[in-house]
Amino acid sequence: MGVLIMERKNSRVFRELNTILTVTARDVTLLFKSPGSLITSLAMPLMMMGMIGGNLMQNMTGGLNFDFGSFMLVGMLVAMLFMTVSMNMTSLVEDRETDFNQEMLVSPVSRYSIVVGKILGASFGALVGMVGTLIVGLMMGITLSAGKLLLILALSPLFCLSGGAMAMIIIGVIKSRRTANMAVMLFAMPQMFLSGAIIPINHSDGVLMVLSRFMPMTYCLDLARAVVNTGSPEYDSIVMFNPMINLAAIAILTIVCLIAGTYFFARSEKNR
Amino acid sequence: MSKVIEVNNLVKQYKGAKEPSVKGISFSVNSGEFFAFLGPNGAGKTTTISILTTMLSKTSGEVRIAGFDVEKDARQVREKIGIIFQQPSLDPNLSAEENIRFHACLYGMCAYYPTFRLMPAAYRKKVAELAEIVGLQDVLSKPVKKLSGGMQRKLEIIRSLIHTPDVLFLDEPTQGLDAVSRRSLWEYIDETRKHYGTTIFLTTHYIDEAEHVDNVCIINNGEIAVCAPPEEMKRAVSFDPAPKICLPSLEDAYVEFLNGDTVAWGF
Repeated sequence: MGVLIMERKNSRVFRELNTILTVTARDVTLLFKSPGSLITSLAMPLMMMGMIGGNLMQNMTGGLNFDFGSFMLVGMLVAMLFMTVSMNMTSLVEDRETDFNQEMLVSPVSRYSIVVGKILGASFGALVGMVGTLIVGLMMGITLSAGKLLLILALSPLFCLSGGAMAMIIIGVIKSRRTANMAVMLFAMPQMFLSGAIIPINHSDGVLMVLSRFMPMTYCLDLARAVVNTGSPEYDSIVMFNPMINLAAIAILTIVCLIAGTYFFARSEKNR
Repeated sequence: MSKVIEVNNLVKQYKGAKEPSVKGISFSVNSGEFFAFLGPNGAGKTTTISILTTMLSKTSGEVRIAGFDVEKDARQVREKIGIIFQQPSLDPNLSAEENIRFHACLYGMCAYYPTFRLMPAAYRKKVAELAEIVGLQDVLSKPVKKLSGGMQRKLEIIRSLIHTPDVLFLDEPTQGLDAVSRRSLWEYIDETRKHYGTTIFLTTHYIDEAEHVDNVCIINNGEIAVCAPPEEMKRAVSFDPAPKICLPSLEDAYVEFLNGDTVAWGF
């Protein structure tokens, strides 16, 4: 009986990048092995964009001085990324239930690499949802130019990271998948309205305004609309903040959420 | 011989628990040693192994693995160890080989590639070698959820050995395995240990598996009751006032020891 020894790669950077890739690839593999998840990712935009957005567009947008269809499509693309990433992140709680988390956490890699890998894996499902949103938009007669779409795609990793980091705060402290699903939904749905995904929030004030300023999705949506509407006469009616302010706010909120969420996640496994 | 596991006054009290599960235990394991940590259910074996493998924080005390502190140098400790958990920790939706690949990549054995065929030859050879030893060569591409409990256990064994750890923690590793698989597993673990000086830290309820270990520690109610080589444990048992006798097996010694009231120990 022979015992073969494989040499380990010693580069720390390689190890961490390889971990991110491996954890991401696992989630992508699982998505393809679960056609139900793929169908849900495609069907969700039908409900969100087609039903809610369609009704708003037909009944409540008469006095607006900008193209509500385009406004809503950009909002829904970003919101879908955010919501789907958040919901897919609850698979970490499922891993806790099946003890697969132990396998990840006993390995000699950074907890941040594991969490970032999970977020990127969850983002893949979100990109499928993005395609579904574009299809529903097309069916409703709302389109984006290829250039604008590429701009949103270029920013999508940032939006996914931000959404995943925010979800980690909840996932880090919840131990049951059922509770985690409900908590993430309770957290994601109000964001869609408070952050202005389908309803403009330029005139929000009081508590609603304060809440919206603490939500990373607000800045993601505003940044996406800023890059899509640059140079258009509607820019000032649609965009609230300077894109640099949006970028800074996203970066700060994402880093804070990522550090806090990862800390809670690792701590909840170890401190019993 | 250098000590690879050092435990000093280890205490663990779970949140909300009235008393500690582990009450100030101390022991050490030499490099290359085959060490059995035995005790009845709820004695504190899994709690201790969880702390030693960085999976659980301690309340107080000092634990060092290969010279590294389990809390301050957790990453270095994880580099040195492998573990088979008491409860299966496989992804049921991935295939058997995908579970191994995931582990190998996280331990830096090789770069990740999306299919087995694209993985480096050394990885494929190692997987094939281990799969043959435990008899899983025909089910590597099957989803874990379709494997029997025994097969899943074998898969965990392959996974824990793929990175050839310095210290291998086995928390009831043969639970659910048939006799043939148990024997082939122990042969492989023995060979790994002899070839590469791997230290084995075993907890098991099959006391016969600990018959040939170098040292045994028995933990009961969170306290170390005895630490000694198996032969010494068997010899040390005596029925008072009769002269010392030698019990036929470690299991007899273990049972007599835990029953307690008819046996005097001469350590």
